[in-house]
Amino acid sequence: MNKKITNILLAVIVALSAAMPSFAQDARQRKVETIVQDVLAQMPVQDKADLDREMEDLAKSAPQSVQMLAQMMQPAEKASNNLLEYAISGVVAYASAHPQYKQAVSDALQMATPRAADATARQFLQSQLRLLGEVTPPEFTAHQGAATYTAQYDKLTALGDKAAGEIAKALKSKDRAYRMQALKFATDHGMASDEALLSKVAKAFKSAKEDGKVDILNWLGDNKVSSQTSLIVKAVKQGGAVADAALEALGRIGGDEACDALLSALATENGDAAMEALRCIPDNLNGKVPAAIISSQGEKTIALLKLANARRLRNTGALVMELCNSLDAEVAKAAREALSGVVGKDNAASLAKCLDKAPQEQVANYAKALRASVGFMQPQEQLQLVGQLMQGASNTSRFYPIIASTDTKEAVQQLQEAWEKNGSKEALEALKTCNNFEASKAMLTAAKQGDDKAMLRYVQLVSDNVSDLDDRCKRLSDALGITKSASTRKAILKALGSTPTMTAFTNVGKYLGDDELAYTAAYAAKDIAAKCEEELDYKQLCETLTLAAEKIKVAGSADDGYAIDEIKKMIAEAEPSPVYQLSEEEEKEGYEMLFDGTNLDKWTGNKVGYVPVNGCIVVTANYGNESNLYTVNEYQDFILRFEFCFTRPGVNNGVGIRTPMGVDAAYYGMCESQVLDHDDPIYEGLHDYQVHGSVYGVIPAKRIKHKPLGEWSTEEIRVQGNHITVTVNGEVIVDGDISKACKGHNVAPDGSDYNPYTVDHRNHPGMFNKKGHIGFLGHGAGLKYRNVRVLDLNAKGKKK
Amino acid sequence: MKLNRRSFIKRTAAGTALFSILPREVMGKMGGGGNYIAPSDQLTRGIIGTGGIGRSGLHFQSDQTCRLVALCDVDQNHLDAAMKQAKTSFNETPKAYHDFRELIHDADVDIVHIATPSHWHGIMAVEAANAGKDVFCEKPMTRTIGEGKRVEEAIKRNGRVFRLDTWFRFKDTFYGLGTDVKPLKKLVDSGLLGWPLKVRISGATGFTWKFFWTGKENLEVQPIPKEFDYDLWLGPAPYKPYNVHRTHQTFRGYWDYDGGGLGDMGQHYIDPVQYILGKDDTFPIKVEVDAPQQHPDAVGIWRSITYTYEDGCQIILEGEGFESQGKVPYIEGPKGKVYKGFECTIPNVQEIINELPDPPQRNTDFIECVRNRRQFALNESNGHHSATIVNMGVCALRLNRTLHFDPKTQTFLGDDAANLLVNQPMRGEWGKLI
Repeated sequence: MNKKITNILLAVIVALSAAMPSFAQDARQRKVETIVQDVLAQMPVQDKADLDREMEDLAKSAPQSVQMLAQMMQPAEKASNNLLEYAISGVVAYASAHPQYKQAVSDALQMATPRAADATARQFLQSQLRLLGEVTPPEFTAHQGAATYTAQYDKLTALGDKAAGEIAKALKSKDRAYRMQALKFATDHGMASDEALLSKVAKAFKSAKEDGKVDILNWLGDNKVSSQTSLIVKAVKQGGAVADAALEALGRIGGDEACDALLSALATENGDAAMEALRCIPDNLNGKVPAAIISSQGEKTIALLKLANARRLRNTGALVMELCNSLDAEVAKAAREALSGVVGKDNAASLAKCLDKAPQEQVANYAKALRASVGFMQPQEQLQLVGQLMQGASNTSRFYPIIASTDTKEAVQQLQEAWEKNGSKEALEALKTCNNFEASKAMLTAAKQGDDKAMLRYVQLVSDNVSDLDDRCKRLSDALGITKSASTRKAILKALGSTPTMTAFTNVGKYLGDDELAYTAAYAAKDIAAKCEEELDYKQLCETLTLAAEKIKVAGSADDGYAIDEIKKMIAEAEPSPVYQLSEEEEKEGYEMLFDGTNLDKWTGNKVGYVPVNGCIVVTANYGNESNLYTVNEYQDFILRFEFCFTRPGVNNGVGIRTPMGVDAAYYGMCESQVLDHDDPIYEGLHDYQVHGSVYGVIPAKRIKHKPLGEWSTEEIRVQGNHITVTVNGEVIVDGDISKACKGHNVAPDGSDYNPYTVDHRNHPGMFNKKGHIGFLGHGAGLKYRNVRVLDLNAKGKKK
Repeated sequence: MKLNRRSFIKRTAAGTALFSILPREVMGKMGGGGNYIAPSDQLTRGIIGTGGIGRSGLHFQSDQTCRLVALCDVDQNHLDAAMKQAKTSFNETPKAYHDFRELIHDADVDIVHIATPSHWHGIMAVEAANAGKDVFCEKPMTRTIGEGKRVEEAIKRNGRVFRLDTWFRFKDTFYGLGTDVKPLKKLVDSGLLGWPLKVRISGATGFTWKFFWTGKENLEVQPIPKEFDYDLWLGPAPYKPYNVHRTHQTFRGYWDYDGGGLGDMGQHYIDPVQYILGKDDTFPIKVEVDAPQQHPDAVGIWRSITYTYEDGCQIILEGEGFESQGKVPYIEGPKGKVYKGFECTIPNVQEIINELPDPPQRNTDFIECVRNRRQFALNESNGHHSATIVNMGVCALRLNRTLHFDPKTQTFLGDDAANLLVNQPMRGEWGKLI
């Protein structure tokens, strides 16, 4: 599209340059119109260095160049000015950083502005001109708000550091907003450490009403004013909102006195505020809390236990263990709940005993605590220790979750054995929590038996661990096939959405017709299309995405609108597939199109691994790629012409000749002509009868250097009688008689497996097949074929 | 004399003949519980902009603590749809306005909720503050650095409460990062990662820059729909011929109104980083961009944007398709790295974090803040700071060059063109409002 526009612009340049003097020439002796033309051809520039170079050309030839560009602008209704806009804004940005060109560019814009094509063009030129102008302070007027506040603000601002008196005065106001404005001013101006202000604030605090007191306490806390801690501690006694604010402030300020006050406020009417503050207080609480627990009882103990847990006060471990046996049942319960936050490795043995012996309702607490107590050790050590602790236990299954939490391969093996051999449900449940890919096998087995939670876990493990997209896609697609629950299928579709492959795109597309799953599938399709590096077929892309947009539109939330925009953009930017036709010459000679880019109707066999995409036969993922693609018809003598392109390094494929289906064509067909990226280092030491083009194991080929990945090569294979000629990119690389190549001994004369006559010393029993299929013989993804046509040399009544 | 809600209540409390509304104390006793909120204590809200976010479930709310009493939009279709939604959802019939100034000056409105495209945010927030209203503003706070400064001033000068609406600095899983911000804040504050830190906001760490929000350079001129007041929609923005793509959801793709994914999602992603790094009161001193040339009207894509603070901390934004490869840390320090899902190179990091005190408490209930006149956790000041990071990136992107920033004066050093983007001209008389 850009080219077209450039051509139109060129016509304008020619017209303009006739009317305008263009003396300026650059070092390359280009005229201004040539420079303008060259720059426009580069718009928009992709890199900064290139951009600077182009713009320097323009700037050096300003004002003529810029004036020329500006005058080329058309009225908005008539044409798009986008390339001109890129060029002009580019040179303006350049000149704004290179003052030597400012004047010339600015002059050009000034001259062009009055003659602009329309208001839009004029406004654009003016906006660009402005960027070359002077920076003047903007003409803002003072904000006209309510005088009460603006006047106070102005007064405080005028006073600056000396505003303490005014702030104290403001604190007497009944208007809370007014008071808060003054306090906020003090905060913003760093006055919280101003002793004069603080004493005034303390005085104001005494006479303030409840809300006034709360505001001052908040302010003291926000500013961490430690010098007023005593005042704040006293305020706690007032109870209610004042006490809550005081406690919150103490939490921010910290210190010994604050800690004491907060600890005593636990389990009072303001206990919640105290607890919140103690969670945040920066002080180390290890010193105070154990003593407080010992001297407390009931509610107070419970609150302290919660705190010990929240703050991980590990020096209370033994104490909390003891309290698990408290006569006060509530305290004992709170102690068990707090255990996991306070225990360490030393407590592991006693916790294991408790876990084994505890009544069922306490098992979760002890299991969590035991896990925490071994948590700081290395996984292998954990596993070993838990193994020891389990010995002699009567309820070994209670230890499974702890084994699982080590996330080790050994844990998976242990648990899987317990599940499979002993049928332990607890072991399976534990496996579900084990974050190790080894567990995926067990998850899949359980999922197949209808365990949905196991399936979700399987999908998660696969998503997290399988980085090979083809492999992940296969696993997820298989999982989708065996899942019944809609919510689980949605989870799998989502996971497929983050697996951008062509196969995933096809598979999620199948669910757009399912009412329940369509929305999720639609998003997955969109995400795959956006991220997929494999080429997606134009027709399939458009059809699937159009349907996806419809499904998303039905739900219609705010984000859905953007998703639809994204889809529309993808469809608009996709390029239609080419369709190949025979050349006139080939048409005359009687060639037949085997694959014109649209369909595989003349082919049979593996149509999962070989799919038509945008005019090519794409050999896709390993998935489903075990077998080959064959022509429906059989051929005897023929000329096969096609193009091939490697998209991944090390690709291995081949063309089967006169072969039955489903056998190794190199031996049971007449032969296989290799298709191989033999330049890849993995093929070091390859025999010459294995390189690209070679009649595999029979006739070596002249080794060629392949084109880079992504570039197309042409190939022709001519088979007549026993004679084979292979031509790649116009160069003959094989030209020989297969019978002569093995002196007529396609199999060993002595009937053994060792054939001294063939270069690979193997038997080729199919070598003298009279006819057979032509096949593409797959060994994995990364290859495309296109424009495949054949001339049947035996066909009677050749077309003229 | 027009009887507004406030004076009406004042008179009632003073014991005049209007006794249909009872004092709160009486109502409290009658109700028997604390749930009833007397009309005098009930806050009210008006929404400007009822297209996308303004009408989404998250924001289109009305309840006893804060009643929705007014709606405003320049697209009659959006306004009608919102009125209908208010009726069906809450059985409310808010006042419908076409001109936001009327909503702002409506005496029945306490809180002005700004949910318009961002080229309006600055003007509306300032106008609301001047009218004595508290402000709930959708991200991004403003589309220029200069407008942000004006909002901050206006809020302070008028003693108002302001909330910028993004929330990841205090709640919710932070997009694709797989964790909320709190443990990250604790980890960073602990010093375990060392200093300075490098934060990477990228597809590789769970964020998407939504490059589909780029603009179109070849907009044809289209007729303006009857129901749409395009002139008032543009407001301060330069007049450009109408095309539907400039407006509504896709406005984000044009520099005049926003800045693409960077402009629109940037503050969501960057504001929590500013909190994590403890940079609420300063700005980066340098911004570098790697991007194709940008069109002066339509926002394009970019490869990376890197911000550097004076102490060496960096925030790196990676565009879609240009993400770092391999395992990419979200935060990287000299002593450790933390990845998506709070995966960390420091062993037992979760337990270490648990042992640390929580970050200081913050005020995250906006309605409470309005009642108590306290500053909200994300306000005119730290909000302006994170919006400025976004806007610094926009300036650097538009000029396609490295810019140096002076945190004291909030201007660029030695770059006039960049400073001309700090304060941009406004069309017509609109500039007088801010």
